[in-house]
Formats: sequence, structure tokens, C-alpha cells
Amino acid sequence: MKTRTLSAAAAGLAAVALVLTGCSASGGSSTDSSGNVDGSGKTLNVLTGVDTLYPTQQKQWQKDQAAAFKKSTGATLKFDTYASANEELTKIQTSVVSGQGPDVYSIGTTFTPTAYSTKAFVKLSDKEWKEVGGRDRFVPASLGISGPSKSDEIGVPFASRPFVMAYNKDLLKAAGISKPATSWDEFAEQAKKLTSNGTYGIATGYADGFDVWKFVWAMANQAGNPIVDGKKATIDTATMKAAYKAYYGWVTSDGVVDPSAVGWNNAQALAAFAAGKAAYFPMTTATSKNTLDKSSVKGKYAYALMPTVPPGETSRPSDGKDAASILSGDNLVVANYSKNQDLAFAYIKQVTAQKEQEDFYTTFGQLPTNAAAAAALEKDDASLQPIVAAANKSVSTPFSGAWGDVQLALTDVTVQSIPSLKSGSISSSEIDKRLATAQKAAESALSRAK
Amino acid sequence: MTTPSTTERQDSAALGRAVPPVGGRTSKPPRRRRLDTRGRPLWMLLPGGILMALVIVIPLVLGVVIALLDLDQYTLRSWLSAPFVGLGNFVEALTQSSLLRSIGISASFALIVTAITLPIGVVAAIATQNAFRGRAVVRSIFLIPYVLPAFVVATVWRTILQPSGIANHALSVFGIDGGLWLNGPKSYWALVFVAIWSSWPFIYLLALSGLQSVETEVHEAAAIDGALWWAKLRYVIFPYLKGPISLAIIIAILHNINNFTLPFVLFGVPTPDAVQVMPVLTYIASFQSFRFGLSAAMAICSLVIVAIPLFVYLRAVRLDSGDEKVVTETEAAR
Repeated sequence: MKTRTLSAAAAGLAAVALVLTGCSASGGSSTDSSGNVDGSGKTLNVLTGVDTLYPTQQKQWQKDQAAAFKKSTGATLKFDTYASANEELTKIQTSVVSGQGPDVYSIGTTFTPTAYSTKAFVKLSDKEWKEVGGRDRFVPASLGISGPSKSDEIGVPFASRPFVMAYNKDLLKAAGISKPATSWDEFAEQAKKLTSNGTYGIATGYADGFDVWKFVWAMANQAGNPIVDGKKATIDTATMKAAYKAYYGWVTSDGVVDPSAVGWNNAQALAAFAAGKAAYFPMTTATSKNTLDKSSVKGKYAYALMPTVPPGETSRPSDGKDAASILSGDNLVVANYSKNQDLAFAYIKQVTAQKEQEDFYTTFGQLPTNAAAAAALEKDDASLQPIVAAANKSVSTPFSGAWGDVQLALTDVTVQSIPSLKSGSISSSEIDKRLATAQKAAESALSRAK
Repeated sequence: MTTPSTTERQDSAALGRAVPPVGGRTSKPPRRRRLDTRGRPLWMLLPGGILMALVIVIPLVLGVVIALLDLDQYTLRSWLSAPFVGLGNFVEALTQSSLLRSIGISASFALIVTAITLPIGVVAAIATQNAFRGRAVVRSIFLIPYVLPAFVVATVWRTILQPSGIANHALSVFGIDGGLWLNGPKSYWALVFVAIWSSWPFIYLLALSGLQSVETEVHEAAAIDGALWWAKLRYVIFPYLKGPISLAIIIAILHNINNFTLPFVLFGVPTPDAVQVMPVLTYIASFQSFRFGLSAAMAICSLVIVAIPLFVYLRAVRLDSGDEKVVTETEAAR
């Protein structure tokens, strides 16, 4: 049955490709001498993720963008949304195979290397950058994962969601802690002081499918281990082991995390922090503000940079990176099968303009990638300082088509370790064994990378 | 004890083989008059044939072709020109991946779930066969797990089986520490339990359909002959259930072996090793690692491995030929 399903999907894709290829006779848009695109009678299709926090606002935003786009280009703007990463992948795969589908894709930053490896998206030359308003229009750090090099890029940064930590000001004050930790060892020590009477120092979700690898990635990078260096993986190393030991230690030896957290995802950890049951909530973004402002910790919490000194160290080694967060957010990419590429870049220019980016932040809580909008925002709202700082200190994940598999291998280390974490201890040899398995998986993926 | 006559059995067989011959002597059915071959409306097979080709044959052939290619994210765009690797994907699937282990997990899971749901379904069907006050309500309640989408079932059970979920709270009342259900060794049994909960009504439905094919006269005859409940159940009712139950077993095993939604939603990806069933492994190879060639090879290997015992079983119960194994008097009396 599974064979049949897979095979049916492949045949379906092939059939759709044949049919649609025959139907794709529509002409492209034209650009006049002043750079204005005439898209009268044309339709531009944009695929973007659904915003589960602000669904109504997202629909309104799309409606407003469509009206503005019609006014400036004469073209119709249509949005299609995906609800999950799996749906995103399926739609991209279908379009790549068939050579048909959306003109513009809004994709997550960590997925950009995979999208690049399919060779299905337009490489941005000076011409394309000019069409979207220039490369210097964007916050330099946000361009870190647009392509393997500055001259070889496919993604235009659209939104920034750097990771920070939220902390409960009242709980820290009650424990006599004057400022949030800046090293992971200090973080664990503070968490011990903050753990008492059913309140834990840290809220985190060990069963989250996305967060767990980000902790060890940050700690390893701060220790000078990039995890992937060209075609070489460095997972079975001392720095990675130290990172996993520190991360697991919170719930095992330190006892500063609710033991139930071995089954939590990020949303459950957020709920615990929002209920005042934890002092720190690391690995969150500004989008958690919406939940926290409606919770019992409203007015009692603040955001801070996550520690940038690796476990076991009091200062960052000379080769360590000041990695406060992965470079996180969304990039816009244009399909190279699109007949409406001029219109596609006109759309990107529209939504990355300063005012649009400021409005986007106000509505959705996602930071601008437009440099002028980011500067204005930082100036106007001092409370955003840590988040803007995290954006500036973001480090991109390796730009390799194999990164998806590496990420999966890093997450799998924790998934398979959960029973030990639940039991309250994990041996050094067990971590070694799991790191060796992850190393093998990563090496296999990297050996295939082209 | 009265049994259906030979004619009745043949008629019943022609009408969908719901009624097996019981206790009667095996006799060859009379040869049917052959239709004039020139008059056969073979063109009527065309719509079904085209559909079969589109839905089954072409995809299967494409699946085999893909399994011979190094098709991944780097070659996806022009997939027909992806490098030909011969049996390389099959070798990798069988020697370097956890495919065989996953097939083992899937097969044992399917057999256990089917073996447990079978008596539950049959007993439930027998219990609701005779009319009683509230029978319609009970029958409707029995169907609830089956009509709920697998995604909903898995999501609800995922919540219940959390470390601090309802299940562990309930167990703690009796002083039992439930521990982890969604990871570690117990996750396998959690999957078995949830699959049993959601799939037993299928066996119940087919058993019920079998019971309803037993004519009133048969019940009356058994009563006149003074058959007690067990003798009636063993020698009259169960033979009628043989066909539907055989079908139920085969469909249930296939359904469980290919169950993707339940483990995927219950445990997520990456999946704990104990519940990395074959469909999830194939999914990860395809849609997480983009190894379409490898995953197609995995799917074909799985198909072959599952098809062998399936074929043997089909031959044994004669569901493939349309002639169910006739129960002789000797067998019935055993």
C-alpha cells in the first residue's frame, strides 16, 4: 500500500507535469524604462506558511498586499498557504518535479540550503537585487543564509525571528539574581537557585521536534565547533558531548527542569513559563509575546540574549562564535520556471519596503529585515533591544543541502535519549554511542551533497 | 442439525460467498454453460482496466524505475535523467538502513494487533447479534473508534499518554508510576494499545456481517436439535464466520502493516527506535532526507517481503481463487 501510495504520487506528479506543461503558454510581464512592471491580466502566485497565531490578520494583510499590488502593477496577487513543514516540502517537491506551481515561495531560513540544492530557484544577480530595491536595503546579518556565498544567492530575507530567552523578573529578583546569565554554566547555577516549591529554574521541551538541536548547535558554535565544515561533520567531538551533557544535565543531575518536560514541546514549555512555574524560558522568539501578555506573567517578564559562553567555560574561546541564535526567519525565493519573474521581484520589493516591514512587525511580531525599518524599530522600542541584538548576533546554520539530515541526526540523539532523561541519568557512554550514530548519518548525508 | 443444502450454498457463493457450506459433503459444482466468446462484452472491462493501469500499474512501474535511480533533492528537478544506480538502492536499503528491523516491528505489531482485535471483534459481534433493549446504541458506540479519523485518534492518545497526562494520573491513583509511553520500550505497547482501540470495530463489523448471513432456519434447526450454546457457536455459527473473518484478518494485517498516521502523529519524527515502523522509515527517507530512490527501493522490498506470507495465506484460505475452502463433515465435526 505504501509502495502504491509513493508510486501513485510519482505518477501523479509526472502526469500533472505533462498536463501543465502543455497548458503553460501564458506570456510574462513587461517592465518599462522606469522599472515599473506592467502585469495587467497576469496573476502572481505566492506560497507562504499559515500564521496560526494571527490567522485573521494574515488574511487581511494578504488582502491589503493584493490591492496594493494590483494598483502598482495591474496584476492579481494570489496567496496559497501551507500549514506544516511537511506540506511545505510536498508542495515544493511537486512544483520542482512538474516545473509548475507558485511563482514566489516564502521558506524558512534553515530550509533555504535544501531549496538551493534543487536548483529550482532564481539566482540573484545584480539585476534581481536591483529589482527588489538593492542588496544593501537589508540588515546584513539577515543575508547570512541567502546562499552559499555573497555572489551566489537565491533568498531575499523577508522576516527575522531570532531566538532569545524570556525570564521572570520577579522570580529572579526573589532569588537575589540581579541580571540574567551570560554563560551556560551560570545559567544552570542560577536555575538551581530558582528551583523550589514546585517552581523550576528552566522551562524547556525535550520532545520538541525543532528546538532541541538549536541548543547544542549554539553551545557547540560558541565553543568553536561549526558541526559541519565543508563535507566533514564534527558531531562526535568533545564540544558536542559537553553541549549535550549540559543540556541533559538540567533535567537529570541539576533537577532544574520539570521531569515532565521530557515529553513537552515548545508550546508546553511556554505554557509552564506563562503560568509562572518556571523562571527561564530559553529558545523562544518575539512571537511568544502574544501568549505571555495574556498570561499571569504579564508585566513580570522580559527577554534577554541566551548565554553565549559555552558549557564548562567562563569566557568564549578565541575560535568560538558569538552565536546568540541561529539565523532564523523567512526568505523569499522565486521559482525559475516562473513566467512572471519581473512581477515576482516587484512583489518582493513591495513587501520588503520600510513601511510594509514596520507594519508587518506591528501585526505579527516578526522583526524587519529592511535595514531602515529595523533601525527605526530599535530606536522607538527599547524593550526590543535584546531581540534586535539577537538578530545581529545570529549565526547561520551551514549552507549545505545535507543540513536537513544533520539537523535530523542531532534531534534524534535527544529523541533516543528521552527514556534515560526520564530515569534521571544518562551515562557518558550512551551519549558517545548516540553521537557516533549521528556522526555516521551526517557523514553519509554530506558525502552525497553536491 | 440442519445445514444449508448444496444448492443454497452455491447460490450463496454466487452472491458473494457469505455462506460457507457447513457439514455438507463436498461435491463439485455443476459446470456452467460457457458463454459464446464472440458475445462477451469485453469492452466493459475497459474503464476498470484504464483505472487500474493509471492507479496501480503505472505508479508501480514508476516506483520500480525510481528505485533504480539516484533520485534525491539534487536530481529531483530533472528526475528522469537522474543517475541509474541499478540495485544500489536495494543493497543500501537492506544492508545499511534499518529497513529489516522496521519490517520486523511492523509485522509483529500487525500480527499482535490483529490477534487481539480478532476475539474482541467476534465476541462483540456475537454479544450484539440478538436483539435487546438499547442494542442500536451499543452498536453505534462500538463504531465510534472506527469512524474517528486516525489523525484525531492519535492526537487524543498523544495527549492522554503524555508523562503528566491522564493515563499516568489514573495509574497513580493505584500507586503505579506509568512512566514514559511515547518513547522507550513501552512506546511499542502504547502503539499496539492505541491501534487495538481504534481498529477492533473493523473485525466486529465483518463478524457481524457474517452473523447476519446465518438464516433464521439454521438457528431454529439448531434449537430443535437441542444444540447448547457452545455447540451451536462452534458447529453452526463459526463456520459461517470463516469467510468474513479470513477477509478481516488479511485486511487488518495489511492495514496495520501499512499504518502510517497512527505512529507518525503519536510519536512524531524522528521516531523512537522501538516504534520506527516501515511506513515511517520510508516516509523519513522520502520526505525528510529526500532520498526518493532509496525510499522507493525500501517500499518495494517491503512489498515483496509482505507479499510472500500474504500469498501463502490467500492460497490457504482460497480467498484469491474465489473458492473458499470447503468444510467437510469430518472437519466440521472435529
